Amino acid sequence: LPWHLPLGGAVFERAYRQRLEVDLARWQADGVIAPTAAEAIRSTFRPLPAGIDVATVVAILGGLLVAAAFLAFVAANWTEIARPLRFLILLAGIGGSYTAGAILDRRGRPYLADISATVGSIVFGAAIALTGQMYHLGEDFAGGMALWAIGAMAAAILAGSRGALAVALLAGVIWNGARAEQLQEVQLSFLALGFVGAGLAVAWNSPVARHLASLAWLGWWAGTALGVRFGAFSEFTFLLACGGSLSLGVGLLLATRPEDAVARFGLTLSTYGAFAFAVALAASFTDPELHPTARIIQIDWLTLCAVAAVVFALAAALISRRIGTGLAVPALVLGLLAVFTWPGLDNGAGGEPWFNYGAALLAMLCLVVSGMLDDVRPRVVAGWFGLAGVIASITWAVKGSLLRRAVFLAVAGAIAIGVAHLLTRLRHKVEA
Amino acid sequence: MNRVGEMIARIPKAAFYSAAAVIQVLLVFLMVADRMQVLRNGTEVTLQTRAIDPRDILRGDYVALGYDIASVPTAGLSYDIRRGATVFVKIAPKADGSYEATSAHLSPVAVVAPEILLRGRIQVTCFGARGGCERMNVRYGLERYFVPQGEGRKIESARNAGRVAVVAAVTSNGRSAIKRLLVDGKPVYDEPLF
Repeated sequence: LPWHLPLGGAVFERAYRQRLEVDLARWQADGVIAPTAAEAIRSTFRPLPAGIDVATVVAILGGLLVAAAFLAFVAANWTEIARPLRFLILLAGIGGSYTAGAILDRRGRPYLADISATVGSIVFGAAIALTGQMYHLGEDFAGGMALWAIGAMAAAILAGSRGALAVALLAGVIWNGARAEQLQEVQLSFLALGFVGAGLAVAWNSPVARHLASLAWLGWWAGTALGVRFGAFSEFTFLLACGGSLSLGVGLLLATRPEDAVARFGLTLSTYGAFAFAVALAASFTDPELHPTARIIQIDWLTLCAVAAVVFALAAALISRRIGTGLAVPALVLGLLAVFTWPGLDNGAGGEPWFNYGAALLAMLCLVVSGMLDDVRPRVVAGWFGLAGVIASITWAVKGSLLRRAVFLAVAGAIAIGVAHLLTRLRHKVEA
Repeated sequence: MNRVGEMIARIPKAAFYSAAAVIQVLLVFLMVADRMQVLRNGTEVTLQTRAIDPRDILRGDYVALGYDIASVPTAGLSYDIRRGATVFVKIAPKADGSYEATSAHLSPVAVVAPEILLRGRIQVTCFGARGGCERMNVRYGLERYFVPQGEGRKIESARNAGRVAVVAAVTSNGRSAIKRLLVDGKPVYDEPLF
């Protein structure tokens, strides 16, 4: 299948093997393992595919310069060239890129072949825009983006190109945002494209594709949040919190699957979800457009997403029987409660939202510990990031009494130190 | 499943690259073919342009066109209709031969000659907050005409003087394309099929 390009993964694999080689030499010198054992370990690895060498980099640069020169030449003489000829130039640009890709692939240069397919997909996007201009086609920006996304996705599937997948998902995210803004409605069409992207990430078992598909999924949430105004106001942080939580829950559930590619995709998705959730939680406390529950709760599909996130995380914890995964459940419940019950910056009640602050801090602490126990460093980083953000939001909140917030932070800090002390004593007892 | 995988593996990779190129070329070609069909089969209507927001003029490489038929009566439409929604606008000729919008519909409706049905998207509507209004703005995809760089200014000046009209081709299902650009009734740009 044309789906097994060693992009991304090879970089990590190479670093790992270099480290392993150093370790094997040391263990052999220390007498920990016999030379035959070291050789047996080495023989379990398949040879690494050829990476990008200097000649390849220079060739890429040369190709890009020639392409730029061609584009500049065409642009300089654009109006002097007859319209049918201009149209043929655009089509030839597409055809030429894929012909180059096929030739490079045949010569065993997968990186250059992938770049050719990527250039082909970019030229395809330019061809859509220029054809629209040449033939005075109606200005449907979102429609043009949709066409670009579909064509680039076809190239990604057929040529196995990570670059074309990136182009397709980026165009798709812009299409979704533009159409959502234009129609002021949540658009579900992009999700079909997103599922194809996720399917490719699993089929290829490629780190690059996993990251792209996860980012595109969050891009759908961001585009929807920026494009659609629910009621009279935007609810960006609220939507991002719901989207992040759902990504975390779905990702954790997928990570329990026995299929390696699915589990890896799930882990990547959960990491992006954790970051989005942490950022949204911290930002929501300073968002003047985030409104009280009474108004937000009307967006019932978001409530369903939040509930689904918790259910998926709970299912993941029960299937995996891991405490770390289990701790993601209270992280989600507390974080979502903090957002769903947020009284708003202009709540008019005079009091400060201590419950929301406390719940958010606990949620992020749970996320940090969840990452530590699951040994997933990015989740730990997301949790710390969220903790820092929440503390900063509480400290810098414009409304309310700074003195009271100082007392709140001091009490929260004292409780945390107390719990840490208890945990240390408990550990000593268990060890004794 | 393995047999399918083996069959796919036997196909040369060049075939996959070719298929990707063919799909993309076809998609671009379809854009033009669709317009060719409208120009070839559509009924011709002359639409009077009007002066538009002065902040939107002098684009240089294209002329922004505003039409009398952009202002459409809202009678008969439901109050929950939103910006961006597709509408079918019935247009009818006035005494001077140019067309005016007479009604809007959410789905295609039958028209009797010389009436024409034109498909567009709602650009501005004041439904909702103020409980509705009598007219709304609709865009038909005929609002831009690209010209060689620098030639747009004189057409924009003529447009603002009310001397520019557009001959559009409209198919029976309401799709439209600019066929000719007229200044003082004389064609200055005539669109070939391809």
